[in-house]
Amino acid sequence: VTMRKCTNCGGTDIDVDQARGDAVCMGCGSVLEDNIIVSEVTFVENSGGGSSAVGQFVAGDSSGNVPSLGGNFHTGVGRESRAATLQNAKRQINHLGHQLQMNQHGLDTAFNFYKMALCKHLTRGRKSSHVIAACLYLVCRTEGTPHMLLDLSDLLQVNVYVLGKTFLVLTRELCINAPAIDPCLYIPRFAQMLEFGEKSHEVSMTALRLLQRMKRDWMHTGRRPSGLCGAALLVAAHMHEFRRTIKEVISVVKVCEATLRKRLNEFEDTPTSELTIEEFMRVDLEQECDPPSYIAGLRKQKLKQVTHHMALKVRDLKGDEIEVELESCRPRARGIYASYSKDGIVILARDEEGEDDELRAAASHLCSTLSGEDGDGNEQDGDREKVSPTKRPSLALLLGALPTAASLGLPESITKMREEKENGRSAENGELDLSGIDEDEIDRYILNEKEVKVKTELWMLQNADYLKEQKEKEERIAKEKEEGTYKVQKPRKKARRREPISASTADEAIEKMLEQKRISTKINYDVLKDLNKSSPKSPTRQTDEASAGAKRSPAARQRKPQLTSPKIGKTISSFGKRYGMIVLSQFISVFLSLPAFLDFFFFAHTP
Amino acid sequence: MEPSNDVALDIIVSNVVSVFRTRCHLNLRTIGLEGSNVIYKPEMGKVLMKLRKPRITASIWSSGKIICTGATSEEEAKLGARRLARCLQKIGFKVRFTDFKVVNVLAVCSLPFQIRLIEFTKNNRPIASYEPEIHPAASYRIKNLRSTVQVFSTGNITVTGPNVQSVASAVEQIYPLLFECQKTRS
Repeated sequence: VTMRKCTNCGGTDIDVDQARGDAVCMGCGSVLEDNIIVSEVTFVENSGGGSSAVGQFVAGDSSGNVPSLGGNFHTGVGRESRAATLQNAKRQINHLGHQLQMNQHGLDTAFNFYKMALCKHLTRGRKSSHVIAACLYLVCRTEGTPHMLLDLSDLLQVNVYVLGKTFLVLTRELCINAPAIDPCLYIPRFAQMLEFGEKSHEVSMTALRLLQRMKRDWMHTGRRPSGLCGAALLVAAHMHEFRRTIKEVISVVKVCEATLRKRLNEFEDTPTSELTIEEFMRVDLEQECDPPSYIAGLRKQKLKQVTHHMALKVRDLKGDEIEVELESCRPRARGIYASYSKDGIVILARDEEGEDDELRAAASHLCSTLSGEDGDGNEQDGDREKVSPTKRPSLALLLGALPTAASLGLPESITKMREEKENGRSAENGELDLSGIDEDEIDRYILNEKEVKVKTELWMLQNADYLKEQKEKEERIAKEKEEGTYKVQKPRKKARRREPISASTADEAIEKMLEQKRISTKINYDVLKDLNKSSPKSPTRQTDEASAGAKRSPAARQRKPQLTSPKIGKTISSFGKRYGMIVLSQFISVFLSLPAFLDFFFFAHTP
Repeated sequence: MEPSNDVALDIIVSNVVSVFRTRCHLNLRTIGLEGSNVIYKPEMGKVLMKLRKPRITASIWSSGKIICTGATSEEEAKLGARRLARCLQKIGFKVRFTDFKVVNVLAVCSLPFQIRLIEFTKNNRPIASYEPEIHPAASYRIKNLRSTVQVFSTGNITVTGPNVQSVASAVEQIYPLLFECQKTRS
């Protein structure tokens, strides 16, 4: 606390009396301050005779907007909007939360999540209802309540995947790890909705056991937990002789019939389904199963293998006939293939399995041109083996259609070099490099005149509605232009994002803010610039006083200059400083509470 | 355990998306009416042209920007793009082939074991995310490679990234993590 100096004698021994509100110098006895604002609890008398404390309740989370009596020069800007947003959000959370029967603690947590999201600007560009639903669902997940995302989307009538996307963004940005959803959590809730009466608990326990079994059998990874719950409950209900049809279960669990049937079928495939009810309750099978999708994949692979074997067998049986046919079909390749004889063809067939017939014909054409140069002396086995391995890598390079990354590794480096050279050439002038482009084929893509006419007619017919709309739009614009009411529809400009102010001291921050915002024309900005340069005592002192009397009427203000300095010349500059101080009070927290203001005001108006 | 040395994984590149610019204004109606393999959608403001040889589909805008999808390798994408530019040249526009860039590569890979997704998500907490209510796969984003791997419980994974190299690195990076969380028969 800086000691005040007496203006008369310069002494620092000043006695401040809170009760009388005086500041008196002990050295010379001059009164330095009269009617000091005190920050004590004061009482006023009610009409009934009792006394009550002066003041207002301010909630902990609100910004504490002080209602001003003398005119609030821009102190409410920016703060009010945030407070209004938070209030609105709180209301919506409570509304939605009560519909879901969530407790108050959960709703408070959700509100905290919303505040965090607001700070990180996650609410921009998203419907506020979505963000609130995501906050609520996050609370449900962390607490482990049996609320599904589907429930929330039902309440809001929004697509569940849209909500899911918002929820994922929220989880990622807030770095909150929601624990994975366990289908066991849903069982009590669904059991209650299915109305099992007194045996509800037993049915739940049975369903839980079934679920554990399903988990061990790998039916639950990658599946919606509600579907599994539905299947488990259905079986459990049947086991306890309750008649619940699939339709009833579906309406409760919210999956479709096909899903439920599929889960039941998968469960049927597991060995547990072979057990009787009593056995199931007693025994737990040790063996685990593979997940059903894996089994389906294996089955498909087996099917493929079986058909392949069948095809080979057929080929072996009818080998000669087919080969004769093939030879007659293939153009210009007869010479080479005849020399290879039947074994050679079978090798080729096995290698080229899965490729197009076109490719095969192209390959044979290429082989003939390549190995034709070696001469026709390749009837021997040795030569055949020599030619075939060399043939395969060149095919790969030329056709370039092999899918594995390993094979791409080597040619990739070569083509990269080629590409870079190409890029260098074509990037300079944008000329199209025509290497490797088949001109004839491209000519086929372009229609001739008759075809163009036909296509034009067809297209006009197809898009008649769109063309009509365009015409009407143009007519409308032309009419408006004549009348002079034509408004040019400019696309909305994106709001420029301001840089957050980074300053080392509070004064700097205030300066920068004022530069940016340009709040009032009445503020003498030059004076503010001198703020830092003036003596450190006076700004702080004036700050104290200013914040104390921040919202003051003009009448009170006129009294102020007497207290600081009697010099008239300074009053104008201090006037400017006063306005500056009012703005300063936005950032510097209000030292004194409202009762003090009112008190001062009260005193200020006494004659 | 040295998992990545022995196994030869088959990474199949199934889709390559690329963009390029022709640096000239294109009249979509002309292209729409003169090409035999084109679909003109005036509401969307673009023309879809499909090529047969490298099997690709291209979206052409009137500003001259073109997106090519459907190629199975980077070289094929470039070849297809050049073919497309040649085709537009023949129709009569003064096209230039500039700013060719491969934007996205999609590859699938089949691992020989199944994966415990919940355990995998727990081990790789913020990077991996798994929401069974929304999507059956766990998604793993690798920031420095700018790639995403979607892991299914059957052992199939799909990888998307800006080029083939990053896709291969992503698979190499994620293989040991998946190997730990595999589901072994007891």
